[in-house]
Amino acid sequence: MSKRTIIPFGPQHPVLPEPIHLDLVLEDEKVVQAIPRIGYVHRGLEKLVEKQEYANMVYVAERICGICSFIHAQTCSQAIEDLLPIEVPERALYLRTIWAEMSRTHSHLLWLGLMADAFGFEALFMHCWRLREKILDMVEDTAGGRVIFGSCKVGGVRVDIEDAKLKDIVIQYNDLEKEIKEITDVFVEDYSVKHRLVDVGVMSKEDAHVLGAVGPTMRGSGVAKDMRTLGYAAYKYLKFEPVVETAGDCYARTKVRIREVFQSIDLIRQAVAQIPGGPIAVKVTGNPTGSSFQCVEQARGDVAYYLKANGTKNLERFRVRTPTFANIPPLLKMLGGCELADVPVIVLSIDPCISCTER
Amino acid sequence: MAFLKLAGTVTKRMGMKSACYMYPVVAREFTKTTRGHVELDSADCIYCGLCQRKCPTKAIEVNRQEKNWTIQPLRCIVCSGCVDVCPKKCLRMENTYSSSVTSKF
Amino acid sequence: MSYLAKSPWLIHYDGSSCNGCDIEVLACLTPMYDVERFGIINTGNPKHADILAITGSVNEQNIPIIKNIYDQMLEPKVVIAIGICATSGGIFRECYNVQGGVDQVIPVDVYIPGCAARPESIIDGVVKGLGVLEEKYKKYGKKR
Ligand code: SF4
Ligand code: SF4
Ligand code: SF4
Repeated sequence: MSKRTIIPFGPQHPVLPEPIHLDLVLEDEKVVQAIPRIGYVHRGLEKLVEKQEYANMVYVAERICGICSFIHAQTCSQAIEDLLPIEVPERALYLRTIWAEMSRTHSHLLWLGLMADAFGFEALFMHCWRLREKILDMVEDTAGGRVIFGSCKVGGVRVDIEDAKLKDIVIQYNDLEKEIKEITDVFVEDYSVKHRLVDVGVMSKEDAHVLGAVGPTMRGSGVAKDMRTLGYAAYKYLKFEPVVETAGDCYARTKVRIREVFQSIDLIRQAVAQIPGGPIAVKVTGNPTGSSFQCVEQARGDVAYYLKANGTKNLERFRVRTPTFANIPPLLKMLGGCELADVPVIVLSIDPCISCTER
Repeated sequence: MAFLKLAGTVTKRMGMKSACYMYPVVAREFTKTTRGHVELDSADCIYCGLCQRKCPTKAIEVNRQEKNWTIQPLRCIVCSGCVDVCPKKCLRMENTYSSSVTSKF
Repeated sequence: MSYLAKSPWLIHYDGSSCNGCDIEVLACLTPMYDVERFGIINTGNPKHADILAITGSVNEQNIPIIKNIYDQMLEPKVVIAIGICATSGGIFRECYNVQGGVDQVIPVDVYIPGCAARPESIIDGVVKGLGVLEEKYKKYGKKR
């Protein structure tokens, strides 16, 4: 048996924008085991419910993660609306869907860029982020913030998007779609990209299921599960199929995300075509009681919110299970037996979001 | 050819305008909805303190006796909560960000 | 702003931030804002860096890491706190695990407000930081 070495990876590592620590046990160049250590970003925001009233928890939820910010706010609002209970106007549901899909496109482009950076394709990284900025401009124009949208609140949405602007969004996305296609073709077809991604970090369908992977990580292994099919917000009125790839390697996960970008653009188109008029928010009165469990599909997988209330203006319990947390066991499985040089690519292939994980 | 897949895009973009904003040479135009910083029209304010109570970060301090309204820009998370709650609509969300400072006080 | 006598390199550490400010720091490096025009490069090595950009508040776990990075950087150095979390703890100020702003641990030279801090704001802040860096150079009596 060859000698074992332990290499610390992180928390400050050039490929990671966020701090996570992995102890990689190596035999020569092969990784035998990966031991994670988390806690660098832990804030303990679940306990904030004791200090913030329930309507303000949406602001806190939005700041769990800066990339899926809108979807966190949406889920939190949904859960509180379920507890109150109030009925949200249709238009607000559609607007939430549109913003959620915008956030998904920007998140996936961001990830594609980081992935390109991880396998050393700097030009591709720059192109992905160039396109992403156009989406952020649209977001800022409609919601008011670039990464923290701040447009969702309990009972509806804070700002309306006029119909002319909605049409403009679709037009801009039509143009953007062509440009994104140009870039994503590189990911799908380029020889050097394939070289780094195909057959790297393979996870079988059984493993994905048993280890509880979520989101694109799971769908890349052939499990067709997408929380949007539950029909929350306006998804019940829209037509779409979960994107599935079967190979289970980094390449398949990349392809899932690429196809999801186009799926999101299509969903925005459908939503804009069907959006009804009417109010965008209802008045919120009273305090929440009971408990609520909400599952929503984020860019990285499904997030689960559990809220418990006791009739006062502070919630009693606020629990968030985020997608990356569920994806860490599959990640450790993928890392076993891989080459050291592939570690950054595999870690990135689950689209890790550490600030979500540790909250 | 599967090699040099990006080359087409790269050559095409060479003839195009730069994607860069050229900030700070070109000033950035903010949209109307951009949340930048909170401003008070002190003429209308009745110093009711609702904004102070709503603010999730306790950035606003209202003193009813002295008719005093202050905000700490280094605490405000520009959530717009105070603007929504103000009964006199005397708070505004301006679309320019508050500038960086070299000392806290 | 005076012309830059030096290409300042930057090291970015993410404290317990929400990612919002991190990706805005990254966005500064990408085509739209492109701070590499000014010779600013994001490096991963503290010994190469002049500017330490910190996003997010500090907590028990990352205090030693922030101190470690800061100590490894060579004098003179400038610390920039990006985002409300890094300046005061922001919305997470009352969390049990959050100690507050970065200034609780190491001296901060420039505070950039905003949640999330806008790339323009970050660029302004870095330029301000360069002024501070220049002054520090003078204090050290170094010839450039
Ligand atoms: S809520 Fe409006 S009126 Fe009341 S103190 Fe604040 S700014 Fe003044
Ligand atoms: S915008 Fe939000 S954080 Fe800022 S002062 Fe108003 S309520 Fe407080
Ligand atoms: S200041 Fe706001 S956007 Fe920045 S890290 Fe903190 S919560 Fe996130």
